[in-house]
Parts: sequence; C-alpha cells; structure tokens
Amino acid sequence: MRIAEHVSPCFIPVMLRAIFLLLACQLAGEAIHRITSLPLPGAVIGMVLLVGWLALVPRERPTLTVVTGWLTAHLSIMFVPAAVGLIEEGPVLSRYGVGLVTATVASTLLTLIVTALVFRWAFVRFAPEGEA
Amino acid sequence: MSDPALLATPLLWLTVTLGVFEVFDSLSKRCDRHPLLHPVLWSTPVLIALLLASGTSYETYKAATFPVSFLLGPAVVGLAVPVWRERARIRRLAIPIVLALGAGAVTSIVSAVGVLALFGAPREILASIAPRATTTPVAMAVAGQLGGVPALAAVIVLFAGVFGAMVATPLLNALGLGGYRARGFALGVAAHGIGTARAFQVDATAGAMASLAMALNAVVTAALLSVVALLV
Repeated sequence: MRIAEHVSPCFIPVMLRAIFLLLACQLAGEAIHRITSLPLPGAVIGMVLLVGWLALVPRERPTLTVVTGWLTAHLSIMFVPAAVGLIEEGPVLSRYGVGLVTATVASTLLTLIVTALVFRWAFVRFAPEGEA
Repeated sequence: MSDPALLATPLLWLTVTLGVFEVFDSLSKRCDRHPLLHPVLWSTPVLIALLLASGTSYETYKAATFPVSFLLGPAVVGLAVPVWRERARIRRLAIPIVLALGAGAVTSIVSAVGVLALFGAPREILASIAPRATTTPVAMAVAGQLGGVPALAAVIVLFAGVFGAMVATPLLNALGLGGYRARGFALGVAAHGIGTARAFQVDATAGAMASLAMALNAVVTAALLSVVALLV
C-alpha cells in the first residue's frame, strides 16, 4: 500500500528496466570474466561496463538512482551471511588473530595518511582553486 | 520448531537474519550511526551463536540466506552511478584523484600484506587481507579470486572501516592534514563504506569525495591485485 502512495503507476516497469540494466551489466561482466579469464571479479567488470553505458547513452535516470540508492542503503545486511561464515574460521582466528588486527590497524592508518598527503600535495600543485 | 519441513525451507534463517539485523540496525540508527554500533558487527556473533545453539550447519545457513547475499553483485555494479554523477568533479580533480588513489591503494595492499606476512601467515590468509580497503562485496570477490577466505575478508574489511571511521578525524587533525576534499578522499580509500558514512556526517563535500574514492578504489585495488596474482 505504501508503494502505491509514493510511486506513480508507471514507475514499477521503469524500475524493472533499472534492475535489468544492473543485472545485464553484471551478467556481461561475469561472461567477460569467464571468457577472457580476466582476474577481475565479474561485478567489478560490470561496474566499469555500466559507467561506459552511462557515458554512451547520457540522460537522466531517476529510477536507476532510486534502485542503486536502495541497494547501497541496504548494503550492510548483504554481507551478514558471508560474515557468519567466520563460524568455520575459528582455528585461523585464534592462530593469526593478533597479526590480522595489527596488520589491519597499521594498514588503515598508513593508507589514511598517505592518501590525504598525496591528495593535498597534488591538489596544491596541479589544481589550486580553494582549499583541498 | 521440530517440524523438519519448516526448518528445511530458507524462510526460517532468512527471517531470523533480517530480524536480528533490524534490531541492531535500529539501535545503530538511534545512536547516530556510531561506527562501534555497526549492525553487522553485532548481528554476526548473535547469528553465529544461534547457529551453534540450534546445531545448524553453515552450509544450510548460507543456502537459506542466498537471496540476501545475491544482491551484493548488482550493488557493486551500482557503484557506477556515483562515479557517473561525479564526472565533472573527476575531470576537474583528475590529477590529485589519480595520484592519491594510486598511492593509497598500493600503501594499503603492501602494508596489510607486509605486516601480516611478518606473523608468518600463509598465502590463503594474506589473500584475505590484501583487498581490505575495498568495499566488502568487492573484497569478498577479490579474496575468493586470489584463493583467500571471503568470510575472513568481510570481517577484516568491516573492522578496518570501523577503525578508520573512528581515528580519521583525530589522526588527520594531529598531522595538520586539513581540507575536506583530501580528508574525504582518504576516508573513502582507507575505510570504504563505513568511512564514507562518517565523512558524510562531517561534511557534504567530504562525503561526496569519500563515496567517489570508495567506488574508484574498488576498481583500482581489484585491478592491481589481479595483476599481482598473474605475476606471483
């Protein structure tokens, strides 16, 4: 009932078109991944393909924005099933837990610093307009 | 509960997963999305406890929750939309973006794998941490590709995001690394979605830069690791 209140009747078929576009890009990505044995995951190739498609056929796509916005807003729950897979990784965690935490902490700190430093330096050097 | 027919349908664990997640999600929402209250961080151990208590195998659980995890693929493809929306900004800031992205992605991979290798971890574990700066679905796919453990990758990424979101502001303040563009971009590269959510809390420009950085880093890190995998 709530959908009927907020979405015009012609919205649903257009929504299907947006979902089709996402799935088609992913499917094409998977196909490219398998045929060329390009080691990039199919979904990542699909993302590049979708950027290409949007550049090729540039127009406003409000429903695609709605659908991807919905997916992004609910991204967290999609990796719960995978995270629960830790149930089978007890031995690994007890053996390398300290190393995993140390490496993740060190890598996150370093990445933050290096990325911000390089961005600011390059911004001042090559694109000086306002604050970095 | 003892009716085997009902227990055998995906309905039970799908419902339980959504229910448990909703509880922690509304708690997180009520606490202004504090990184430490990330719903995945809390629903995962609760669900593991429920599986153990009911003697359910992970195989059964994984099959039952397939409809939820299937959506990860289209969600990754959808990252194209923010990239496309930000195309003017990308063109204007092309040089800082390319340089910072390259430096950040390489730093993340080398430092994570390097430090963990000091602990004597085998290749399978190293492959699980290598994509730790990408958004979770990409990290899982890349880890799987490299012979790592997707579940481990998911949890490492989650932890990195929570940690990055919490330390970014005090760390970059202490180092005098100002500028919302640079900060937002660094958060997106280092701490993916959770960092991006944090960046949006601080400043709209920082948030836009962070979501752009997250989407671009998904491609760059995946590509870098693919090349490494071909060479090693």
